[in-house]
Amino acid sequence: MAKLKALYQKVVDFGKLIIRKRRVIERYAAQILVYALLITVSYVFLFPLIKMISLSFMSQTDLIDPEIDYIPKDFTFSNFRVSFIVLDAWNSLWNSFWFSGLLAVSQVIVSALTGFAFARYNFKFKRLLFILILISFIIPVPVMLIPRLMMFGNLQDFFRDFFANPDIRLIGTPTPQIIMAFLGQGVNSAILILIFFNFFRMIPTVLYEAAKIDGANAFQQFWHITIKISLSTIVVVFLFSFVWNWNETYITGLFYKDFQSLTAQLGRFDNGFRSAAPDSANQGGEARVTEAYKMAATLLSMIPLFVIYFIAQKQFVEGIEQTGITGE
Amino acid sequence: MARKRKLSDKALMKQLQRSTHQNLQAFLFLIPWLIGFTIFSLVPFILTFVLSFQNVTVDYTAPFGYNFEPIGFANYAVAFFGNEYFVPNLISFIMLELTYVPAIMIISFIIGILLNRDIKFRSGFRTIFFLPVIVLSSTVLDQLYSAGGITLSDFSGNIVFSTVMQYSERTAEALLSLFENFTMVLWFTGIPVILFINGLQKINVQLYEAAKIDGATTWQILWKITVPIIKPTALIVSIFTIVQIGMFNVNPLLVQIRDAMYNSAAGLGLTSAYTWVYTLVVLAFVGIAMFLLGRSDKVKNVKLTSIQRRQFEMLKARRDQTTESEVVANG
Repeated sequence: MAKLKALYQKVVDFGKLIIRKRRVIERYAAQILVYALLITVSYVFLFPLIKMISLSFMSQTDLIDPEIDYIPKDFTFSNFRVSFIVLDAWNSLWNSFWFSGLLAVSQVIVSALTGFAFARYNFKFKRLLFILILISFIIPVPVMLIPRLMMFGNLQDFFRDFFANPDIRLIGTPTPQIIMAFLGQGVNSAILILIFFNFFRMIPTVLYEAAKIDGANAFQQFWHITIKISLSTIVVVFLFSFVWNWNETYITGLFYKDFQSLTAQLGRFDNGFRSAAPDSANQGGEARVTEAYKMAATLLSMIPLFVIYFIAQKQFVEGIEQTGITGE
Repeated sequence: MARKRKLSDKALMKQLQRSTHQNLQAFLFLIPWLIGFTIFSLVPFILTFVLSFQNVTVDYTAPFGYNFEPIGFANYAVAFFGNEYFVPNLISFIMLELTYVPAIMIISFIIGILLNRDIKFRSGFRTIFFLPVIVLSSTVLDQLYSAGGITLSDFSGNIVFSTVMQYSERTAEALLSLFENFTMVLWFTGIPVILFINGLQKINVQLYEAAKIDGATTWQILWKITVPIIKPTALIVSIFTIVQIGMFNVNPLLVQIRDAMYNSAAGLGLTSAYTWVYTLVVLAFVGIAMFLLGRSDKVKNVKLTSIQRRQFEMLKARRDQTTESEVVANG
C-alpha cells in the first residue's frame, strides 16, 4: 500500500514536472516536428533522383528481381556505357555547352544594358516599358512562335535572293535563337533584366556623378563603374541563363530541330536506343530493362548541371533573392 | 509641379535639355531590348491574333511564302467543335492550373515558414529544395515519368477518390494526378520557396513580439500578421507558378500546340487560334490571382475573445507573483 502511494506520488511529481516544463517540452516537440516535416519533404523531393540513381546501377537480373527495391545486388556500369553511346555524350555535351554559353552571353549583355537604363535614368515611358517587361514574362511563348517562325523564314528567303545562294539557312541553325537572345527575347529574359535592375539600383549615384565630372561618357560610366562593380551579379545572371537555355527544348525544337544537345538527345533517347542497340532493347522483353538505360542516360545528362549547381549553389539562391521582386 | 512652375525660363530650359539628354542616353541603352521586344514580342502577339482569323496555307509563290484568306471565326469553331483533342486538353490544362497552383503555393509557403525558423542544416535543406530549378526540363520530366520515378504510390484505389469519382470524373482525375505526382508539385516549388523566405524575412520581428505580448496565439499571428504581409509575395509567386507550369510538358496543350506547329500542313491559322485561346486562359488565371491576392490590406487588429483576455490577465497576474528565476525557467 505504501509502495502504491509512493508510486502514485512519483506519477504526480512527474506530472507536475511535465506541467512545469511544459514550454520546454513543447518547444522540443515543435522542433522535432519541424525536422520530421523537412526530412519527409526532402525525401519526396529527392525521390525521383534516388530512384533514378538506384535504377541506373541495376543489372538486368536485379531489375527483374521483385525483392530489390532500391539497393541493387550487383552494381553494374553497363547501363551507363550503353547510354553514353546512345547519347553520343561527348558531342552532345560540347554542343550543349557552346549553345547555352553563347545564348547566356547574349542574354547577359542585353539584360545588363536594359537593366542599366532602367536603374540609372529617368526617361519618358519608363513606367510603361517596365510594365511591358513584366508582361512579356506573363505572355506564353507559344503565342509568339508562329510569327517568329514566319519572320525567320522570310528573312532566310530574303538572304537567299539577295546573295543568290540557295544554301543559306537560318531555320535549322542556332542563329535565330542567338538573335532573339541578343535582343532580349530569350528564355526568361524578364527575370534576368530584373536581377540586373535591382542590383544596379543599389549603386550610389555619387559614383556616376564623380565619373561625369571627370568627363566619362555614358558608356564609360556603364563599363567602368557598373560592370566592374557587379561582376558577381553577372555571374549569377550568366548561370541562370545558362541553365535555363540548357534545359530549354520547346523553342530549340522549333528553330533548330536537328540540334544534338544533351537535353534534346535525351528526349530522342527511346528512338536512338532502338536503333543503336536493337538487341538489348528486346532482351527479356521487359520494359524495366529499358528503364535502367533511360535512367542512366537521364543521370548522365544531369551530371553537368549537378556540377554547376554544387559549385555555384550560393549564387543561384542569392540570385533569386536579388530579383527583389518580393519587395516592391 | 508647383516647384517646377516657379523655376525661371532659363533653368527650365536647362532642365529640359538635361532630361532630353537623359532620354537619349537611356534609349541608347534600351535599343536592343526595344527592337527585340517590338519585333519578336509585340508584333507577333498582334499578328497571331490576326492569323487566328485567317486560313494560312504554305505557298512559295505568294509574297511572304503564305496564302492568307480571312475566314472569320472558323478557326475557333474548328478548335472548339472540330478538333477532338483541343477541348479535353484545354480542360486538363485548366484543371492542372487549378490544382497545382494552390498546392504549390501552400506547400512553398509552409516550407518557407519552416526554413525561416532557426534550425540546423538550413542551407542544406535549401540546397535540396532549390535543386529541381536547376535540373528541371521537359525531357528529364518525361524520362523520370516514364520510368515511374515521379509516382510515389498508387492512390487510385483510395476511397476518397472513388467517392469523388462518382460526382465528377475530371475532378477526381485532377486530384489523383496531384497526389500521385506529388513530387512534381514539389519540384515546382524551388523558386517560390526562396521568394517566400525572402518575403518572410522582411517582416518586422517587433510585430510578432507586440502580438505575443497582446496574447495572440501562433495561429492568430500567422493569419493576422504573416498572411496579410506576405500577400504581395504570394501574388508574385502565383503568377510565376501559373506561367511556369504552362511551360513544361505536363501541360498537354503545350504539346498539342507544338505538334501543330511542327506540321504546318495542319494550318497555321488554326494553330494561332489554339495559342490565342491558351494565352487568354493563362491571362485569365493571372487576372484571378491578381483579384484574389492583389488587394494588400493592412495588418488587422488582433482581437481577443473574452476567454482569451481572462486567460491572459490570469497569466499576467501569476507572472507578477512568480520570482525572477522561475520566469527565466519558463521562458
